[in-house]
Amino acid sequence: MEAIRVENVYFAYDSQPVLKGVSLLLRTGEVLALMGENGAGKTTLVKHFTGLLKPQRGRVLVFGVDTREASVAQLARRVGLVFQNPDHQLFAESVEEEILFTLRNMGYPLDRAREISERVLKAFDLKRYRDKSPYNLSVGERKRLALAAVLCYEPDVLVLDEPTAGQDYYNKSKISRLILSLKRRGKGVVLVTHDVEFAIQVADRVALMASGTIIREGPAWEVLTDSEALKSARLLMPQIPAAASELMGKGIKFQKTPLLPGSLYAEVLMLLNHCGGER
Amino acid sequence: MSQVLDIFRFRRKNTPLHALDPRAKFVILVALSATSLALNDVLSLVVLLLFEAFLLKLGRSLREWLQSLKGLSMLLVMIFTLNYLTLPSHRLFTSTTMTLRFLCLTTAFSIFFLTTTADELAAALELSGIPREYSIMFTMSLRFVPSLARDLQTISDALKCRGLELERGGLKERIRNYTYLLVPLIIYELRRSLMVAEALESRGFGAVKKVQPYIELKLKKRDYIVVTASCVLIMVLAWTLVSGAYSGFVRWQQGLFAGL
Amino acid sequence: MAVIELSDVYFRYQGSDEYALRGVTLSADRGEFIVLVGPSGCGKSTLLRVLNGLIPHFYEGEFRGEARVAGLDVKRTPTHILARHVGMVFQDPENQLFLSSVEREIAFGLENMGLPRSEIKRRVEEALRLFGLEGLRDKAPYELSGGQQQKVAIASVMVLEPEVLAMDEPTANLDPLSALEILSLVRRLVDERKVVAIVVEHRMELALKFATRLIAMDRGEIMVDDEPHAAVDKVLGLVGVPPVVLAHELLKKRGLVQGYPPLTPEDLSKEVVEVIRRWRR
Repeated sequence: MEAIRVENVYFAYDSQPVLKGVSLLLRTGEVLALMGENGAGKTTLVKHFTGLLKPQRGRVLVFGVDTREASVAQLARRVGLVFQNPDHQLFAESVEEEILFTLRNMGYPLDRAREISERVLKAFDLKRYRDKSPYNLSVGERKRLALAAVLCYEPDVLVLDEPTAGQDYYNKSKISRLILSLKRRGKGVVLVTHDVEFAIQVADRVALMASGTIIREGPAWEVLTDSEALKSARLLMPQIPAAASELMGKGIKFQKTPLLPGSLYAEVLMLLNHCGGER
Repeated sequence: MSQVLDIFRFRRKNTPLHALDPRAKFVILVALSATSLALNDVLSLVVLLLFEAFLLKLGRSLREWLQSLKGLSMLLVMIFTLNYLTLPSHRLFTSTTMTLRFLCLTTAFSIFFLTTTADELAAALELSGIPREYSIMFTMSLRFVPSLARDLQTISDALKCRGLELERGGLKERIRNYTYLLVPLIIYELRRSLMVAEALESRGFGAVKKVQPYIELKLKKRDYIVVTASCVLIMVLAWTLVSGAYSGFVRWQQGLFAGL
Repeated sequence: MAVIELSDVYFRYQGSDEYALRGVTLSADRGEFIVLVGPSGCGKSTLLRVLNGLIPHFYEGEFRGEARVAGLDVKRTPTHILARHVGMVFQDPENQLFLSSVEREIAFGLENMGLPRSEIKRRVEEALRLFGLEGLRDKAPYELSGGQQQKVAIASVMVLEPEVLAMDEPTANLDPLSALEILSLVRRLVDERKVVAIVVEHRMELALKFATRLIAMDRGEIMVDDEPHAAVDKVLGLVGVPPVVLAHELLKKRGLVQGYPPLTPEDLSKEVVEVIRRWRR
């Protein structure tokens, strides 16, 4: 189902053009990685998804609704936006209140809101902090809380701004698993990121942005192996496809270009079996 | 909201105003502010405003100022209305005077800040004998104003995305909604000041009491001309005010406005 | 004596029950590029702040053990003296660039040291040239890209000619290409100026090829301290490892490869070519 449709959007801050004719389509059940250097316009673009910014030319449709005709709070009901820094998004006196804050604003009656917040606190491993002030938590816990406070009302689309910045590989895997579970539940996910290793793990489609336009868009495996396009977007090829590309340059042929360590391993085994057969 | 702070943000341009020594510009600021405060009638303040607009044109910053007037307009309307509703007599005249005075003052400061970098300001302060700690404190506050404005914007964006309608509701509700912005903003800026303090320490701040500033400010002929002209203006102003002619001028205008 | 000598250092922040550093012993000398990793809360940022005296002077608490940097006793030397020997670069460029032009920013530290204007001018010009910042000298920080900002931050501390370059997640907010440029710049500084660089960095896939040493911490203690190839699979359980290392581990479990993992895609591809060649024989 069509979730967000961006039609030829132009936007400028203070007469400085930031978006110059951007078109994009996101469907539910799909993970889209929006990638490119800082200043390419990624964050400006996703702010259009909840109507924080309205296009100066062109339009943005969220589940068929033109963003210029709805308030941010209304659009936020269907599109959850988690900003990069958790400290910009914590408003309540306690962790539990933080979850309830969102639910009450979204119109849930108090008892239903309490039910949901119990579930969410448990799911995000925040139950023991329920009465603590959000600002007494560690950075990682605050990030979890900011995420929980948006996911608690189960928006159809989730937009994450640089979710893996400053995270080690373990935490990145945890975030990947969360995103894949959202996808399985039919949600749409937009990741604003320049973490190519992360994108190749979770994204179905990748859109590369540079200087306010989308320079390349397509399936993740295709875009993240296009070295020219990646360079224009100030990105590097993920390690495994880069290794695969070296190997292909040496004449080695793969069934399917491996993108992750597991698939490279599987491909190597297949190649060895072939060789074995020839002996 | 952040548009209001925009009038005080430096823009790099090549104009005679930008090229003046910051101390000369400071004298202009003092002269313009003194004039704004001393004048008490509509026509003179309009003339002052036009003069300031001329200075802005000289500094090629007229457009920035006009743009941020939009953000200021609410404040101006508020000042006008409050005065109009609370004054006993000469309401139209005095409200207009107050509003114009506020505009002239803000514009005077804006002329200064639009054409002076925080660095030049720091150098000017230090050369004038102010201890380094204080001048740094002052310039850092200026330097971080745009950052603060950006943080405020992000926090209010996040609040809206959590379902809070900041633009709707009665006055009481709106005030309550806006208070949600305060806690994260204060904490964020406190955290930021901690990081800035760490970085300052790490750059050896405070190692030596009296330092030789890197930026050399030399007063040139044009600076002296400007300073002299400003002093002359102030003297003329003082003389006009002291003489009876001014009060007569004011009364004549009050009569005009009363007729409207 | 080495430039950095930490011996059995314990530190507990005031008001905290837990020790942030527990028996940390570290010796590092000029020409080393250390990458410091560990799960959040492991003490890596704390360790960095001991080097220039922010701990224990700016952050008070209980400090035990010996810490010497460039021969100076950290406990007894104020940060503004240590700042001449340790250049500290932080994660967020916005909070460490204070002034409105690149030129003035680079001069700031030298001003603080009380150097005469002529000397400051000379060093600033040299830094602008060495770091390729001449074209940006009049620009304000907000007019620069993230990568340029961090370059200015590095130039601003290197101009004080420290023996140590300490960096707390310097590439966290940068795109991969800019991150690579910064890390490669640090390696150049290590090789040419013989500083010792100690860099907290999560993106091992970018940083390890420049490093001469990988140190991993957990709960205040140093768990791993070795040359990157040797150390990297030991950090698997702590923070995870880059994809090429994972691929190697999979092949190793199958008995197809032995020894230390590759750190770059090129090295992995060479390893795989070897595997296939050996199999064909």
